[in-house]
Amino acid sequence: MTGDALAVELKGIEKRFPGVIANHDVNLKVRAGTIHAIVGENGAGKSTLMKTLYGMHQPEAGTIIVDGVQHVFRSPSDAIAAGIGMVHQHFMLADNFTVLENIILGAEPATRGVISFSTARTKIEALMDSSGTHVNLDAPTSDLGVGQRQRVEILKVLYRGARILILDEPTAVLVPQEVDELFSNLHRLVADGATIIFISHKLDEVLTVSDDITVIRAGTTVAEVKPDEVSRLQLAELMVGSELPSPHGRTSTVGTDVRLEVRNLSVAGPGDKRLLDDVSFVIREGEVLGVAGVEGNGQFELCEAILGQVHPIHGTVLIAGDDVTSTAPHFRLVNGLSYIPFDRHREGLLLDAPLWENTLLGRDADEKFLRGPFINAAATRADCREVIAAFDVRTPSEVVPAYALSGGNQQKLLVGRELSSHPRVLVAAHPTRGVDIGAQAAIWEKLRLARDQGLAVLLISADLEELIGLSDNIVVMFDGRINARLTPAEATPELLGTYMTGGLQEIAS
Amino acid sequence: MSTPEPSTMPLSTATEGIMNPGTNDSIWTRLVRPTSGQSVLITLASSVAAVFIAMIIAGLLLLVTGKNPIDAYGKMLHAGLTPVKLVEAMQRATPLIIAAVAVAIGFKMNLFNIGVEGQFLIGMFFAAVVGAKVHMAAPLHVTFVIIIAMIAGAAWSGIAAYLKVKKGVNEVIATIMLNSIALSVIDWLFTSYFRYQSSASLDVKSKPLPKTAWMPVLFTVTSKTGRSTQHQTLTSFVLIALLVVVLFWLVVYKSKFGFRLRASGYNAVAARTAGISSSRMIVVAMLMSGAVAGLAGLPYLLGESHAYGPSRPDGYGFNGIAVALLGRNHPAGIIAAAFLWGFLDSVSAPLQIAKLPQSIVLVLKAIILITVVIVNEVVGRRVAKRTADRTAAQLALPTAAVAA
Amino acid sequence: MRKSKHIAAIALVASFGLIAAACGSDAKTSNTAAPSTTTGGTMAATTTPGTTGGTTGGTMVKGLKLGIAFDTGGRGDGTFNDSAGRGADKVKSTLGATVDELEATTADDRQPNLTTLTGNGDNPIIAVGFAFGDALAKVAAANPTTDYACVDGYYDNATPNVAFLSFAAEQGSYLVGAAAALKSKTHHIGFIGGQEIDLIKTFEAGYIAGAKSIDPTIKIESQYLGAAGDNNAWTSPDKAKEIANGWYKAGADIIYTAAGGSGAGTIAAAVESNAWAIGVDSDQYLSAKPDEQKHILTSMIKRVDSAVFEISKDFASGTFKGGVHVYDLKTDGVGYSTSGGYLDDVKDKLDAIKADIISGKIVVPTKVA
Repeated sequence: MTGDALAVELKGIEKRFPGVIANHDVNLKVRAGTIHAIVGENGAGKSTLMKTLYGMHQPEAGTIIVDGVQHVFRSPSDAIAAGIGMVHQHFMLADNFTVLENIILGAEPATRGVISFSTARTKIEALMDSSGTHVNLDAPTSDLGVGQRQRVEILKVLYRGARILILDEPTAVLVPQEVDELFSNLHRLVADGATIIFISHKLDEVLTVSDDITVIRAGTTVAEVKPDEVSRLQLAELMVGSELPSPHGRTSTVGTDVRLEVRNLSVAGPGDKRLLDDVSFVIREGEVLGVAGVEGNGQFELCEAILGQVHPIHGTVLIAGDDVTSTAPHFRLVNGLSYIPFDRHREGLLLDAPLWENTLLGRDADEKFLRGPFINAAATRADCREVIAAFDVRTPSEVVPAYALSGGNQQKLLVGRELSSHPRVLVAAHPTRGVDIGAQAAIWEKLRLARDQGLAVLLISADLEELIGLSDNIVVMFDGRINARLTPAEATPELLGTYMTGGLQEIAS
Repeated sequence: MSTPEPSTMPLSTATEGIMNPGTNDSIWTRLVRPTSGQSVLITLASSVAAVFIAMIIAGLLLLVTGKNPIDAYGKMLHAGLTPVKLVEAMQRATPLIIAAVAVAIGFKMNLFNIGVEGQFLIGMFFAAVVGAKVHMAAPLHVTFVIIIAMIAGAAWSGIAAYLKVKKGVNEVIATIMLNSIALSVIDWLFTSYFRYQSSASLDVKSKPLPKTAWMPVLFTVTSKTGRSTQHQTLTSFVLIALLVVVLFWLVVYKSKFGFRLRASGYNAVAARTAGISSSRMIVVAMLMSGAVAGLAGLPYLLGESHAYGPSRPDGYGFNGIAVALLGRNHPAGIIAAAFLWGFLDSVSAPLQIAKLPQSIVLVLKAIILITVVIVNEVVGRRVAKRTADRTAAQLALPTAAVAA
Repeated sequence: MRKSKHIAAIALVASFGLIAAACGSDAKTSNTAAPSTTTGGTMAATTTPGTTGGTTGGTMVKGLKLGIAFDTGGRGDGTFNDSAGRGADKVKSTLGATVDELEATTADDRQPNLTTLTGNGDNPIIAVGFAFGDALAKVAAANPTTDYACVDGYYDNATPNVAFLSFAAEQGSYLVGAAAALKSKTHHIGFIGGQEIDLIKTFEAGYIAGAKSIDPTIKIESQYLGAAGDNNAWTSPDKAKEIANGWYKAGADIIYTAAGGSGAGTIAAAVESNAWAIGVDSDQYLSAKPDEQKHILTSMIKRVDSAVFEISKDFASGTFKGGVHVYDLKTDGVGYSTSGGYLDDVKDKLDAIKADIISGKIVVPTKVA
């Protein structure tokens, strides 16, 4: 099927938002029956471009050609009519519907207002067979895992007759085994004549799965390459336009003093279930302990228990040798504990508040920010400016509200805030999730620097490369327990994936 | 606490930031805070514009009902912009300022204290009956009565705080119920223990406060027309109301405690993560709100009636909510909004005499409230979008350079 | 965004609340026009209550400007305020006066409204409701050349330009209580009060005493719609209806309601349960719909209309006198209505009781025993 006919061709696309040119002079050629990856940093304009192609907004200039015919898409329904479907990064499923109902929602086969579920079922079952994408049609959507939800979304798009599928960061939420399954399904779809446009910034995946790669940088297409023509590093450098550091290559700085110790920690869940079950570990000064695991296997509860936000039913937490198990969160934070939360918007930032109030959050017990009972605004703002400078936060000033910053810059600010109180222990949950490569490198660098100066880090990450690259030791969590302990040297993504999905380590630690 | 959903982690880009300027934004926190992207001038201009839009809509309503709106507004201004009426407006604004501050304290941390009504009545009642039982020197006595009112108001709101923190009862429901319970409790105490029959009057009151607990009149304006004299006094409690506003500004906007309060309002989860105990903030904010609310009845008690009785005023709590919304919980905004409310109330009588429906005042109030909220929301979104755009533009989109 | 939706919702609710309040107050003003004009003629022009006597001599003031300050609620209650309103209407039609009416929306309006009427040159100015006492004391003291009257009001050390129009509502209530006891087939009657204040308690006391004088073992239910100071008590017909329906079901067959506009609820319940209601202040038979009229046994009449008219006439003829003016059975200031003729069979008995009250043989209590 792989030929030279073009499924999609974009010429000279330009898309402006007030004050910003999000896309300019974008040229893209997607061959029919191929998997075409579009890579670029966050903010490079990938999503904007795909929204243009899917008719979610109209470009200021440029032409869209689909299957040789020029189109003007006024809305997604125009794009759907032309055979384009989009699987969004955030799933849009109604939880209280069954899978079948969700798939046909908005395109119900009906005769005189009565939905014909049997017609729909026959059609969907045929689609499932041809694409290899299987899911139980009668299951309530609320029971589905992330991977299954994604399959529902793909079926939804196929059901509407899409032959050109846009997948926006489809692997961001999947564990390695699910990624493999997705890719094999994509190959089957392509073999069946579909065309896939695959958006990602995970370069290994892109190199594995795609036939062609287009690189977008700063709003424009800068290169089109074949996966066998470039190395991972070259591709990354195309994306950022300069040379990159990596998380690898360093010497151990693990000292002898125990900075964080967790003994037999258990957190109760609903019923008899324990969300955290008998977890023990130590982190010494200058050590990074990585925690691998599919999200929802106790990592969050572990952090909450260390921070003092939940009371463990059993176990002890010691910071630098002091038992803090029964102390309030605030006590721990002012005594050397810092925290980079899972979700910066939800747990970390005051989006509507100016940056200088954001950097004050959690640090307002420090006398240098106070003048009696009042906030010393000048000192606080000066401190914020220091964080901005030290952590390369791209912002016009410290008075803009946090929502105005891009995700990467928000995260840099957050990391800066947590590190600038010179903690002894840092709990870092996904410190680089959802940030672009530039910011990721900067954050890695800062973490490494702090570790070199003796900081003990508990690193929770879904990015296995980050985990392997930064950690001195790795534990894998499954179902609230630690079910494997290994060194970065032993850890491969495949091995970690096995433990993360419940496989047990043969040698107990 | 459940684990945050993995799929909710947005991989924000500059353009996504523009489309979605924030997930935790609450209208008052965003709009009240000029430093975060919105200038005081824009805030002021949009509020004034909203009032004008409301006047136009109300004018159209008048036109439809066969009245001349120009004439009506003319009468309103002609009657209202006289010294007597302006002082009356300020006198009426005094309790509203206090009540609105009480409401705003709650609003600043996303607590809806609908119970200011009950809290102010409880505060006024206990101030009246306890204050009448003691004898002390004048400044001390007034201070004593004020403290009693604050304690009583705080105790009443404290019930709602307790229910929220310990029993998980939503404060809106708790405070609404406490409003009607307050009426019954006061009625029972009053009729059973605190009636003081001094004359044949049907207007029964509690025992009058000794003169040492009276607040003096700040000044009186007089206007003579023909044989009749119009007096309008301004009770000195207005000074205390203004002091309350200043303290509100210092405590909520400038202090460490206020920062924590506002942080909890901006994002309760983030505040909790930062070690700020949300239960403690709820309790403290509710107690503060109730203590301030307890003062709202004192301009009447200490300045006019000097005793509690069923003919006392009511509605300060509910009007305080409107004033706080209108003034966007901002100290200056509250004063301005309370004065506007007082002004509209004060022109109601002249309008009735001019055979214009007094309901124009109520309709105008309602439309102003709703237009202000709408205009502020629209302007707020615009400003948020523009701030995001400008920030992105200033950063010149290519952000590829890597930190050294 | 969730919170801003919240706030928008609250603002919406608040706005609609305000608009509803506005509509409510207008509606009241308009729907009273009919009863006030139709009943104007039936008012006994010959009643001459008050201590001033029926002076008709003296020079009438030209261009009389009467000011009426209603309390919260205002016209449209079908009872108390409407009665005052009818008095004002009569002043306008009979004495050729202009009338300025102000209605308080909150307690804080009372003094400004009196001040505004004073400044507008109205004279005399009549405050309708005892709650005007404090406000009136201040305004009247500052304006010795304007004359004021206050319905139901009283305060000590009043200036001579203030007349207090005081009604012996317990006497009228005694009569309707006696009528209820005479007409009740179930020996079970009821009383619904508005706010639980001393004024309304005099109605209750008279009613109970009157009923017991006929039937010492009669069962009398009694309930108030709101605590003292709860202004909703005057405007909650739904509440009154619920209570009345409960009592009618429990066997009561006559209920007397002294609760302003809330009384409409009792009448509605009486229609539904095919029982009797007793009206208050105005003759509510006259303003009722035909199907309701069949269920209004009588009304305790408080002649606020006459009082308003008389005090205005006194002023016009230069014979205005300050101090307390008592309106009782003797002066026909209170009484009971016979519209519908439902009391024809017991009228003689009631008139005998009335005579005994006037002569002092019966002393009606003002407090419930």
